[in-house]
Amino acid sequence: MSQSENSSMTSMVKCTINGQEIEVPRGTTVIEAYHRMSEKIAHYCWHPGLSVAGVCRMCMVKVEGVEKLQIACNTEVRDGMVVSNQTAEVEEAVKWALDFHLINHPLDCPICDQAGECGLQEQYMEFGRYEPEMSERKVKKKKVVDLGEKIVLDSERCILCSRCVRFTDEVTKTNELGIVQRGDRSEISTMGKKLENNYSLNTVDICPVGALTSKDFRFQQRAWLLKESSSICPGCSTGCNIKVSHNEKGVFRARPEGNSRVNGYWMCDEGRRMAISIDKKNRLLQAFKYSSSGEEELAAGAAAKEVGELIHNQLQEKGSRGLGLVLTGQYTCEEYQSSLEFFHGRLGSDQVFHWLNNSDKFEEFDGLLLRGDRNPNTGGLIQQLEGLKLNKTWEALESELMNKEIQILIVAGPEVQEVFPDLKNKMNLFARVKNLIWLTTHPVDGFDQLAVPEEGAFYQIPVKSFFEKSGTWVNHQGVNQELKARANIVSGALTLDQIITLWAGGEIRPSLRSKKRSVSNELIKERGNWL
Amino acid sequence: MSQVPRIEAHQQWYFKGIFAGLRLTLMKLFSNLVANFRGRSHRVTLNYPEEKYQYSPRFKGNHVLTVKKDGSLRCTACMLCVTHCPADCIEIVASEHSDSEVEKYPIQYNIDILRCVFCGFCEEACPVDAIRMGPEWQTPSQNKKSFIYDIEHLTRRPSLEGGVPSIVDDRERWQEGL
Repeated sequence: MSQSENSSMTSMVKCTINGQEIEVPRGTTVIEAYHRMSEKIAHYCWHPGLSVAGVCRMCMVKVEGVEKLQIACNTEVRDGMVVSNQTAEVEEAVKWALDFHLINHPLDCPICDQAGECGLQEQYMEFGRYEPEMSERKVKKKKVVDLGEKIVLDSERCILCSRCVRFTDEVTKTNELGIVQRGDRSEISTMGKKLENNYSLNTVDICPVGALTSKDFRFQQRAWLLKESSSICPGCSTGCNIKVSHNEKGVFRARPEGNSRVNGYWMCDEGRRMAISIDKKNRLLQAFKYSSSGEEELAAGAAAKEVGELIHNQLQEKGSRGLGLVLTGQYTCEEYQSSLEFFHGRLGSDQVFHWLNNSDKFEEFDGLLLRGDRNPNTGGLIQQLEGLKLNKTWEALESELMNKEIQILIVAGPEVQEVFPDLKNKMNLFARVKNLIWLTTHPVDGFDQLAVPEEGAFYQIPVKSFFEKSGTWVNHQGVNQELKARANIVSGALTLDQIITLWAGGEIRPSLRSKKRSVSNELIKERGNWL
Repeated sequence: MSQVPRIEAHQQWYFKGIFAGLRLTLMKLFSNLVANFRGRSHRVTLNYPEEKYQYSPRFKGNHVLTVKKDGSLRCTACMLCVTHCPADCIEIVASEHSDSEVEKYPIQYNIDILRCVFCGFCEEACPVDAIRMGPEWQTPSQNKKSFIYDIEHLTRRPSLEGGVPSIVDDRERWQEGL
């Protein structure tokens, strides 16, 4: 390791980019050096996660001592190189390259979903601003081409940067996409196949224009009406870094955010679907109490206080023996900590159980990102439980439930329920207790049909989703990743922390954090930097 | 040593001041009275609702959604009007059109006319002449719900006599090679 580090130290090269000196490893291309310096450079076909194609001819730079302009993506940095893309010559070249890209581009920006975050729009405002000089008609191509369940292609808008083709060749290695025909009739095609792999929506993200659009986001919102917030995907233990697009009308899409240590530049389609399922229309908005007298709707805080009383009565009558806590790997480390402090530390109960959904598949891996462990924070939960030496097995819980030793069972239910295939069986098992308290973000299917025992009551209490609370998730590599509260989707929901506070007899103070509305135009500027 | 002047008896009455202030009003009152008797009225007040003022053709009144030559809605649901609306009174739900040349069209277009400030930004922002502000302005109603104008009302209310045609036509633009 140290040897390779040494050799890489010696193989650093110095160059000057737009008048600023920078030292980069040998083999770095000029565009990577630009990217590293956060200097602006026009480009469509280059993407940091893909190979170099050099087809868009937009990233022209002037290298001192070289007569003709060079493309930055396919030129390696040499020692003492002096590069600039701020000369009049370069600007002229970029303008003409853009003019050629726009010859057959339909300019249907008003109905194009990419408008607002489109590479063509940005470069036109930066370098273009010319009067079109083409007298020929535009070549018409197919408009709404169905590429499968998730993606629609608009061949007219495509500028043939080949990013999507390279993605299916190099990253997923499924080779669905290709460029067919010649000259100005060239277009992207699947040759009758369907683009339906689990990473297909990445092609929509990397498309610099609006040629590839995803069906679930198509025509839902305009890009400038959305706010983008960083978060972490709740879909599996990889913990891909994501950007969630949302506004007051809902949560609309999730896209990957580059993190070389965790997910590179990609994320899977399943993760996207799970991340946006936190939308208000899917959520549990109020707490429900089911008892022999029927169903009752109440506020989450009131329900939590009732449960707190039940816990204290149980403690005074029979001690902590009759309590049970079931934790799933979909909460934050801080929430585990506070619930274990309360349960183990304060109530002295060791009846804490880790609900493993499908441990036999935990080692599965699709080779790219998706892992068999479909909980985002199994690592954190195991750390917390091992730290307190709580290792009660699931069999112990089952036998105690069968013997009716547990009176009050609290289940911190999963946020993504579909990855718990045995949810219904387990729910029926849990329903053998007197009081079942299920904390959940989404309504639990079939919970209201459970047979509630005499004098008992079952509760469903809404909790905050990953997007609405701050905390830490530990992914499968042991990387701690920070979650931040980004939006308030269900205002009636509580975090596990807050529920524990209520059970412990405390009060929740309203958060004093002021709500800042970000100006969406700023986001467009920020986003358009290189993706 | 300063001396505060005593207010005289004639200064305690304000008749002079009042008449000075109302000079113009009174002049108009008397001249109008005289003119009225002579049959030449200079009154600017109208006997609304029997008499109605004729606004200029550029008056920004209630919105109209224009239609294409085939009678379908011109709007492409680009949401530029929504983006620019300072009163946040426009709500559009877009959807996929069965004709791939049309591609996107609104399935819901609601204007909350009570929130509207009639600034005309929607008209200015529209790239395809789909929304215009018409001459109507006195449109009372019984309940609040009927002040939320939907597509049907905005395009085909009786006063529009079957819809206002848009000046921007996709087919003509296509034939021009645009």
